[in-house]
Amino acid sequence: MRRWLVSGLAGALLLAGPAWSADVPPGGPPGASSCTGCHSGAKIADVVIPRIAGRKAEDIVTFMREYRSGAWPSSVMGRIAKGFDDQQTQAIAAWFAAQPE
Amino acid sequence: MTSRRTFLKGGVAAAVFAPAIASAQAAAGKVVVVGGGYAGATAARTLKTLRPATDVTLVEPNPVYTSCPFSNSVLANLREIGQQQFRYDGIKRTGVKVAETSVTAVDADAKSVTLADGSKLPYDRLVMNPGIDFIWNAIQGYDEAASQKMPHAWKAGAQTVLLRQQLQAMEDGGLVVMSVPANPYRCPPGPYERASLIAYWLKVWKPKSKLLLLDAKDAFSKQRLFQNGWAELYPGMIEWVSLSKGGKVTAVDPATLTFTTEFGSHKAAVANVIPPQRAGAIAAQAGVADRTGWCPVEPVSFESTLRPNIHVLGDAAIMGGMPKSAFAANAQAKVCAAALVELLAGRKAADPILINTCYSLLAADYGISVAGVYRPDKGQLTDVPGAGGNSPLEVVGGFRGQEALYASSWFRTITSEVFG
Repeated sequence: MRRWLVSGLAGALLLAGPAWSADVPPGGPPGASSCTGCHSGAKIADVVIPRIAGRKAEDIVTFMREYRSGAWPSSVMGRIAKGFDDQQTQAIAAWFAAQPE
Repeated sequence: MTSRRTFLKGGVAAAVFAPAIASAQAAAGKVVVVGGGYAGATAARTLKTLRPATDVTLVEPNPVYTSCPFSNSVLANLREIGQQQFRYDGIKRTGVKVAETSVTAVDADAKSVTLADGSKLPYDRLVMNPGIDFIWNAIQGYDEAASQKMPHAWKAGAQTVLLRQQLQAMEDGGLVVMSVPANPYRCPPGPYERASLIAYWLKVWKPKSKLLLLDAKDAFSKQRLFQNGWAELYPGMIEWVSLSKGGKVTAVDPATLTFTTEFGSHKAAVANVIPPQRAGAIAAQAGVADRTGWCPVEPVSFESTLRPNIHVLGDAAIMGGMPKSAFAANAQAKVCAAALVELLAGRKAADPILINTCYSLLAADYGISVAGVYRPDKGQLTDVPGAGGNSPLEVVGGFRGQEALYASSWFRTITSEVFG
């Protein structure tokens, strides 16, 4: 009985995994893996650059749009945001929103 | 995308009804990663994390890695060399096997590497991160022995410490001379950050001293930002001599610390020679370096265009518009690892987008940056038009101080991601 439950659970996870990841390359949509060079995936001390994992996707999209337009002042993010269109930005934002905060 | 989804559903069915077959498929894949710098260490641990069934071996002879980024701060006494050093324990914990030895040969046809003890390690995919080697005697008289008198300090570690000791032992009023190579070389803005931070330290401790930069080119990375900063922070202390003004060093004499240029000679109290470079020697042996000495790769998984199943990352590779920086090496490695997940499963990797951000310090609290966004175009990694560029020339308030803070934040984050 217990074995059946465990394998049933594993089966469910397997089904859930591919259905979710079918359109997203391993490691995230194009551009996402570069972000963690500055925006730490793990929680570490003494950093001034905020983490973006687990933030709301719409917030990330809004920031990127405002960086791109210059409405929100930035040092480097305005220059980077200009390299991504809305669709690419939304895919990256959804990816980080789904990561553990 | 439809075909891939169908494939994945098939994979799920196999996993549910025939677990043995599924696990055999999942276990397939031996990847050997040569070189444990920013590129190699990132590639090994990212691949192992994304695809735990992969047999990943990182071959690296040094038990401790000494980071070049932020090593210029060691010269200026802002950091100690120990703060630049990282071990491979965190990478081992991810399940990567770390072989503390060197690769002596790559057999691309047999798909195996030979280790220092003569044993062979087979691979399905090889990821080479050979970094740079110096072209000794490209500047006449500058060989490995000369680097003990005139340090390069362009591979961080004992050389960094040696140059710092020489600066500290120098009398006030001494002339520091640096020789800077033509492009391409590791870390394009690095020599100018080094000049800045040496001047930062001289200004406090040896204020009568000067620094002469002899350059084999007429333009350099973040040039106006550096030159404006030098005028503001270190007026009269740093003199840059361009190629067309006779800056190219053709010979050195380590006994007298003399630099010979096309136009004359300069005797130094402390001499720093950043020599011309090429990909690490193992790249040529493997057949992945071309006549330039660097390694051409395709822009999606960074597979060599000269040898199949070998990927080359970081400073050794020709990455189109992307510069030779630690940030770039780390970004390339994450893209390569994700591509390997697809390639090992018999799928095609999707086109990536990569970012580079590179900070330079002109003082402890004065930072500048260059950024770029890159994507494959016509077989090359190419700048996305309209994106990227340098910090603004005119700024208000604490902009430069903020970029200095971002620089140290970046260093903490990236070293934690790679080695933590």
